[in-house]
Amino acid sequence: MSDVMVDHTQKLEETAVPNNLEQQDKQDEEQPQQSVQENAEYEDEELHKLLVPDITQLPLIPPSAVEFNFASYFAPDFMKPGNDQYVYRHANGLCVVGLASTHLAFKDKGGITAVDFNVGKSDRSGMKVTGKRKKNAQHFESNTALCKVCTNGDSYIVRCCVKGSLLEVNERLIKQPELLHSSADREGYIAIIMPKPADWLKVKASLLSLEEFKKLRALC
Amino acid sequence: MSNEVESAQVSDAMEVAQLSSLAAVDSHAGSCEAEMPSRLLNDAVRSLPYHVVKDLLSIGVCSRCVLRILGTEDHIYCHSSFSQSMLCSVLEEVTGFKSECDFQFCSVCLGVLQLIYRDDKETLVKMESPNDMALVIAELVKKEGHQIDGFSLEVSIPQFILENESSLLSGMKKRYESEPWLQERLLSKCVSVKDVLKFAITKPLETLLDTKASASSFRIRLAYTHKMAFGNSVERNQGFKRRKIGTENGLQNVNDESVVANKDCSDYPTNETIAVTGRSSLKVPIDKVSEPCHLVYLCYRTHIYLCGRYLKYSRNVSQTRWIIDEERMGEASVEEIIGSNILPMCRGDNYKFHAAGREDIDVRMLGSGRPFLLEIQNARQVPSEETVKEIESKINGLENKLVGVKNLQVVGSQGWTLMREGEAEKQKQYCALVWISRPLEDEDVCSISLLNDMQILQKTPIRVLHRRSPLERKKIIYWMKIERIAESSQYFLLHLCTQAGTYIKEFVHGDFGRTQPSIGSILGCRAEILQLDVTDVKMDSE
Repeated sequence: MSDVMVDHTQKLEETAVPNNLEQQDKQDEEQPQQSVQENAEYEDEELHKLLVPDITQLPLIPPSAVEFNFASYFAPDFMKPGNDQYVYRHANGLCVVGLASTHLAFKDKGGITAVDFNVGKSDRSGMKVTGKRKKNAQHFESNTALCKVCTNGDSYIVRCCVKGSLLEVNERLIKQPELLHSSADREGYIAIIMPKPADWLKVKASLLSLEEFKKLRALC
Repeated sequence: MSNEVESAQVSDAMEVAQLSSLAAVDSHAGSCEAEMPSRLLNDAVRSLPYHVVKDLLSIGVCSRCVLRILGTEDHIYCHSSFSQSMLCSVLEEVTGFKSECDFQFCSVCLGVLQLIYRDDKETLVKMESPNDMALVIAELVKKEGHQIDGFSLEVSIPQFILENESSLLSGMKKRYESEPWLQERLLSKCVSVKDVLKFAITKPLETLLDTKASASSFRIRLAYTHKMAFGNSVERNQGFKRRKIGTENGLQNVNDESVVANKDCSDYPTNETIAVTGRSSLKVPIDKVSEPCHLVYLCYRTHIYLCGRYLKYSRNVSQTRWIIDEERMGEASVEEIIGSNILPMCRGDNYKFHAAGREDIDVRMLGSGRPFLLEIQNARQVPSEETVKEIESKINGLENKLVGVKNLQVVGSQGWTLMREGEAEKQKQYCALVWISRPLEDEDVCSISLLNDMQILQKTPIRVLHRRSPLERKKIIYWMKIERIAESSQYFLLHLCTQAGTYIKEFVHGDFGRTQPSIGSILGCRAEILQLDVTDVKMDSE
């Protein structure tokens, strides 16, 4: 019986508390409308201060995302004289391969007219790689052909340069081969390859660094 | 772990301590209650079928088990001040049966309801009444420094006890099949060992802890184990095999079973044994229990949650502790800064940090902040509103100014619902510092601002392609606004609001043309992103 009594008093207390709170809330509500707004404005100002950079600290020309995130390597005269290719390696191990600006194909009159991924035993653009484990990825050797780049009078085979799994080819090149002219080192990339770490070390030894390549081609 | 030692000591010195505390309990309970229970107990015992009580006592069933198995109502035998000897003597007196005191431990509950157990130090502890047990628990709660506003009592007992009980009950059903009391008492009203113990301890605990038993996040747990429970099934299987292989004719089966049944208690007979032998005379699976249960008292608080939003002012602080090959990435983590400041205020054992999404280490989280949930394990104290405010200003006042918090508050498990909503697709607002390869024109500022709800196609960025599936995702850029930076023609701030999951860096530089369109492709030049900040994380509920 005594329990019931205790419960009652507790309930009374409980109902008394919310009333107090409500009153407090009402008091709070009347005044602060303005200060909330002021506060929000203050916060916006503070935020803006954080966002605006100090222009004097910024470089005139910043490093590009490619320069910043990738290490550049080159394979000059790969399999044939004048077939210069680049390999941009991301810190995560993935390699973007494409035509170096010194590639013979760019020197042909009329420029590059077509890119054909249907080389070798299979169409390189036909395989759809799926999943985190990169199912269906084809494993290629360094000298495996990736595509054929055609000019008015000639054609060139572009190769992997890196032994590994072919994750992706740049299918846009099929319809827009001119991307190779406008930006061979960005939108005009040929393919993305994922080498095994050990294989990469071997390949790396056979590639030139940017400085070495510049010296070789007398670019500086 | 020294608690167990203490409990043993307490039980020895209990006689003294008991008197004072029990007086307190009784005075709370009221004077009339002190006399009532013993009379009620007498009445209850008188209503029992004496011959069954005798049978049960003779096979070593303890008084509390006798009463509960026979479905004695009102649980008066659970009364916290009833001592073991008192119950025993009332039973013996009323039924006129003198048990041979051969049985040290109850053959059904293995001593649990006799309040006998072995503690962590293998010391045999024998409590006189449930009040004593409540005292030990209250000591533990105080010692661990819990601040509580309620408790929920949990009891776990070995499966073995339940098997014991069910085999005894089935034996009784067979034996007393024809007797009218059976239907009424035995079938429905047997009270479980756990419940009896809970009934007995709850009242005095409520008094000692000065709070009510409720569905609280604070748990008191009595964990009983028995060494017999370990490897039980293996032993049984062996016994079963031996019987099957060793005997080809059915007659020998019975013999073998009786051997098993008569074996020392270190062996484990099957339920079948009782079913066969129980017909004539009542049997329990173990003839004589030589070892009581082990008991560990535990008290802990299940997780409490604090939620809020965090701000990250540094481009060198990760969201969670990030260590690769023993090398820390970044100078600190949001998780550790928030967790290590809140944990001591709740006096918890550990914390877990959960956030609604995340940003790269080099991306700041500003403006609204990002919702997070901090789970504190075994908090001794649920922080008050004031304490929470204190914690908040403490974190915000840290000298290094790496991380801030907003709207910090204690929440129930509904915090999870909020978090899950936060993880669902939402709008995110960013501010990016962009450089383009030609001077920015007024037309650019205008044309960008006109692009509303623009759909983009994003291939999995190269920077995460090694660990993510290669996919092309559709994302929406809800709006964009260019803010010019004074004295610069090629740098500007790009404010944008996008669907959650959009890779902003790639949307700016295009990722080898793999995100289309991109800021670069829209403005027809090269675009680079130098800095990125999250300025708002919008939740569904807002």
